Amino acid sequence: MIAFIIRRLLISVILLVFISVISFGIITLTPGSPYPWGELNPKISESVKANFRKQFHLDEPIWNQYWFNMRGLFTGELRSIKDGRPVLERIGERLPATIALNVVAITISLSFGLLIGVYSARKSGQWQDTALSTVSFGLLAIPEFWISYLLIIGLAGWLAIPIMGTVSHGIVFPNEAAAWMDWLWHLFLPATLLALGGIAGQSRYVRASMLDTLREDYIRTAQAKGLPADTVFYRHALRNSLRPVITGIGGLLPALIGGSVIIETIFAYPGIGRLGYQAVMERDYPTLVALNFIVATLVLLGNLIADLLYAVVDPRVRLE
Amino acid sequence: MKPVEESPLRRVLVRFRRNRIGMAAFFAIILLFVVAVIFGTLSIADIPFPQDPNATNLERKLLPPNAMNWLGTDNLGRDLFARMLHGSYISLTVGFVAVGVSLFIGVVVGAVSGYFGRWVDNVLMRVVDAIMCFPTFFLILTAVALLGPSLWNIVVVIGLVSWTGTARLVRAEFLTLREAEYVRAARALGQRAPAIIFRHILPNAFAPIFVTAVLGVPAAILTEAGLSFLGFGVQPPQATWGNIISDGKNYILDAWWLIVFPGLAISFATLSFYLAGDALRQAAETRIERK
Amino acid sequence: MRVFPEIGNSQLRPAASWICSGAVVRFFVYGIPVLLVALLVASFLTVASFSTDRKNELTIASIGEPTKLNPIQSAESGASEVEQFLFEGLLQYDQNLQISPQLAKSFSLSQTTTIYFQGPTAALTALSFVRAAKEAWADLSLLEARAEGTKLYLKFGLPGMTASEKIYELFNPASTLPLTTLRAETGGEARALLKEFQEANIDLPIVRAWFDYDAAFEITIPGEAKQALEDLKAFLAKKGKEKATVVVTETRKFLAEPVVQFILRDDVRWHDGAPFSSKDVAFTYRSLVNEAVASPRKSDFDLIQSLETPGPHEVLVTYRKPFSPALTSWMIPLLPAHILEDKPVTWWNDNFNRRPIGLGPFKFSSWKTNETLRLVANDDYYQGKPWLEAVVFRYLPDPIAVRLSFMTRQTDFWGVDPWAVKSYIDDPRFQVFRYPSNSYTYVGWNLRNPLFQDLRVRTAFAHAVNVPEMIKYILYGNGVQSTGIFLPHFWFANPDIKPIPYSPETAKRLLDEAGWKPGPDGIRVKDGKRLEFTLLSNQANEVRKDIATLVQDNLGDIGVEVKVEIYEWAVFISRFVNKLEFEALVLGWNTGVDFDAYQVWHSSQTNPEQLNFVGYKNPKADKLIEQLRQEFDPEKIKAMAGELQRIIYEDQPYLFLFVPDATSVIWKNSFRICRPDGKGGFVDTPVEITKAGWTYYLQWFYRPEYADRLPANREVRP
Repeated sequence: MIAFIIRRLLISVILLVFISVISFGIITLTPGSPYPWGELNPKISESVKANFRKQFHLDEPIWNQYWFNMRGLFTGELRSIKDGRPVLERIGERLPATIALNVVAITISLSFGLLIGVYSARKSGQWQDTALSTVSFGLLAIPEFWISYLLIIGLAGWLAIPIMGTVSHGIVFPNEAAAWMDWLWHLFLPATLLALGGIAGQSRYVRASMLDTLREDYIRTAQAKGLPADTVFYRHALRNSLRPVITGIGGLLPALIGGSVIIETIFAYPGIGRLGYQAVMERDYPTLVALNFIVATLVLLGNLIADLLYAVVDPRVRLE
Repeated sequence: MKPVEESPLRRVLVRFRRNRIGMAAFFAIILLFVVAVIFGTLSIADIPFPQDPNATNLERKLLPPNAMNWLGTDNLGRDLFARMLHGSYISLTVGFVAVGVSLFIGVVVGAVSGYFGRWVDNVLMRVVDAIMCFPTFFLILTAVALLGPSLWNIVVVIGLVSWTGTARLVRAEFLTLREAEYVRAARALGQRAPAIIFRHILPNAFAPIFVTAVLGVPAAILTEAGLSFLGFGVQPPQATWGNIISDGKNYILDAWWLIVFPGLAISFATLSFYLAGDALRQAAETRIERK
Repeated sequence: MRVFPEIGNSQLRPAASWICSGAVVRFFVYGIPVLLVALLVASFLTVASFSTDRKNELTIASIGEPTKLNPIQSAESGASEVEQFLFEGLLQYDQNLQISPQLAKSFSLSQTTTIYFQGPTAALTALSFVRAAKEAWADLSLLEARAEGTKLYLKFGLPGMTASEKIYELFNPASTLPLTTLRAETGGEARALLKEFQEANIDLPIVRAWFDYDAAFEITIPGEAKQALEDLKAFLAKKGKEKATVVVTETRKFLAEPVVQFILRDDVRWHDGAPFSSKDVAFTYRSLVNEAVASPRKSDFDLIQSLETPGPHEVLVTYRKPFSPALTSWMIPLLPAHILEDKPVTWWNDNFNRRPIGLGPFKFSSWKTNETLRLVANDDYYQGKPWLEAVVFRYLPDPIAVRLSFMTRQTDFWGVDPWAVKSYIDDPRFQVFRYPSNSYTYVGWNLRNPLFQDLRVRTAFAHAVNVPEMIKYILYGNGVQSTGIFLPHFWFANPDIKPIPYSPETAKRLLDEAGWKPGPDGIRVKDGKRLEFTLLSNQANEVRKDIATLVQDNLGDIGVEVKVEIYEWAVFISRFVNKLEFEALVLGWNTGVDFDAYQVWHSSQTNPEQLNFVGYKNPKADKLIEQLRQEFDPEKIKAMAGELQRIIYEDQPYLFLFVPDATSVIWKNSFRICRPDGKGGFVDTPVEITKAGWTYYLQWFYRPEYADRLPANREVRP
């Protein structure tokens, strides 16, 4: 097990170097420049441009730039071209909001996915199952930006439903708890929309896994032993069919921090997705390098955790 | 196993036909196809039927649905219904071609990886890991920037970034099937790897691959719509359902029809594919009988 | 990873621990969703109980969030939107877009002209010439004349070249000595290198030296300076600067150095209480030309030879040559020297730029990135405390969110989109402001392309595109047809230019004359070549996208095939515009109230990455552009600018489309203005718009709910 982890970590490090090189290449290959003034600004002279390129090492060969960026990333001194602040600070200040949004979204999608999946499995083959599965696919099929727009327009100004940001504006909160509640209230709509696809996918997953488990021999044995149906269902079947759900948690790690451009834009949510999108549009290379690196690390780590969880939850699997 | 007289494909079809929702979805797809083919042909031949989708008419701009414009008009007075009909083939093309590209790469990589195993498998799977780490959005943006925002570039790029799931699935199938007796027999008879892969294993892994493909189409359509929303999809004046929404979103409070109808069209198409794909998956599931 | 065969019935082991009990599993399935719903309800009840009283604040919804709140390091509109309340400049535009003093109490212009002669006698003779013509001094605004060695100094009350040239013409050209300016691009260490060069060539009479960062220097030498040029080249080569270049940038008959004198207000304090003085002006200038600061606004200050501070409230700025747009550059907001001096730029970025200290009517309070930026009233403001307690900016990335936030009264002000204006004008709940923006939109033709070199073709296209219809339907009437490079509401614009009328018939006739005859498929053909081109524009701009489609449609009607391609902004600029690789494009210029057309229209600016990307070259226009930059007399500026505008409009290098209006909307009666009437009292009026925008009187805005704070003796106008 330990050897397996060490080997995978080593491979991951090599992969990360490879990924960072290629993605840096892609980033700098894209046409455009990171100048902080609008392009086509008549007030910018050639010497200002040249000085700017020099200050940010943009006039150096690409491998030098790569080196500066990676070194800066690890020493924490990598600064955004846009506002001159350390990129880790820029990412860090958006992290709480993003993690909160995604924790709520993941909680919603896991819990409601589980609920719907279990219910469908119990009613397998009956009309409730058919209806729920059709609705699930409906949730998957609707473009999220489309439904978000329809919702915020339908709900704006109604029941104080928040459609943007993280706090009610212009309100002095009577106490700390009220502030938290306000925050939670702002999280629900974007988190639910972010979770829609997850609910659908998760419920299909749980249902299939449940049905598979219910067909296993030991369940039949348990039923034959005369155990109550509920006990068999919850204690034996459900517990074991949760394995794929648990192992899937590793894969959620990158989603926790990755952010969602579309939902964050529509709901004016101050998260990582918006930062990344802005950085792309502004060609803020240092921020992009840092974001890519972090997300890539999380994907690799998530894969590793998924494999480990798989081995932990399922005694039939050994890691070599 | 009991002896089978009918081919496995036949059996799947029979069971698929029994699924009412699946059949309804299947007919919906056929309908979409017919519309796309008819209006795709009209569009390429430049025949303005029922109306010219690109003819602007500023006096008739932003009209709600009416007798002349069944679904209303957009901000330049173009007929929304005509634009959606003529855009349908693009949206479907995006779905199919992107899936074709991703299927091709995914099957080849997955098959090679699963069949040969060992270091080949290891290397290819790490490549898959690496690709999953890349910033998809940036890849698409870069490709579009370098190659131009044409329909084909976008489609190919969507395909190029979405094959990893297929590759993993095919690999898993191959890992099980390569130890099957008939494969061992073929190997013992001295058949070469490509022959074994394509003649023996692939046909038996057909069902899950086909299901992935069917489920991949709506995903690609949704990706294009999302890209359009951010302004990186197929560019106007070429109409697609995605960019009709993205162009119309500014008028959302003044002209609801500009985003409601194309959104419904996308949802309808993707839902049909999802439901048909799910019905196929159920029909192709052989485990119940094996037990 | 290896999957073992099933290990029998391990799952059947009785569930010993409570974790595996049915109750816990059931909690996960049913309990968590119920808990989530309960939390949702609780949070709703909490939020619904909040008071909705309006605070004495103004909230502005904005899409562009600033990156740095440092006026000399940022050039984005989002930043200046905030900075206008925090900082102030020496000068400002008043409500009628005229230049007026702000932190300066007053300013005055003068000029020193120095003429170099072959010898001292010639200089003295010249002086006596000038003295003899004393009666003409007033006309020439000449104040003083004196000779010193071989030089003749003339002091004028008004900067410019005309008066100096008139005097220069009195002298025998052979007796004077022209001046040559050399520019050496050293790529670094310019100061040290020049010092060393001077030490090595002690007898070289360098009149003045100027440094472009530390990357280049310019020296002015009397005479033709051929020897100096060679010496300098050799010197730099010897110093190992092989890549260095030395060129003669200009040769002048005499030195003309305008001087601007500012007298500063003495009653102004920074937000931390420190007094404002000329040190701050000097520091701001030093920062602008500091390479570590990398200010995007440096170019405006490149013509400054020196900036002196004779007293704490006096600043003297000497320019290297007459350059009339220079005055407006002093609208740049000033930085506090006592805070930023001697601090590295990273310190600025980490501290000041996120928590600035200014001296404007509002003080910085807090900034939550991607959410809100809050400014509070500056009690110590020299014009009096603002009525409002705070100005808050909300950053919303999506136009729909901006609109919804306004409609739900979460924000008070909205720069309404053109297509929505009409419904707000008709609605009695709102007050809509409309004023011409300082920008115009155009279709630019690449004049390097043979197709567009024919004036008849360009004019035909201008006749074929229905601009009035565009204004009516795309801008919903919020704009006027553009008549060239200067906008109709500028004081120097030419009011006599008639826009080219929409007339497809004229367009067809012109194309026929130019040899483009209709072909078999309806598209015109000449010498076997079809009349077709690609029109580019950038995405994320709905209006331009629509224009491209309409141009395509309109030109299609006269037999021209137009393909439209839309690219992301950065790609559009770097792949097509900067490389000059395009046929036609839809773009717009944000002009500012500026008559300097050099960067966009001068023939020297047609190289890649320069702004005359259409490749417009006209010697007559070049001459006017050059003269305009040196002219300070408003009457002459008006005449020359009008002529320049006419010449360029007739050449049609662009298809000038329209000048859109800036539109904004507030809830009616949500604010009023109570401002000083200039006679010691106050007037209380509804919110009104000025030529300088709606924020001009912002410090005097108040909410009617809080009217009790206002002076009682104010004159209320309904």
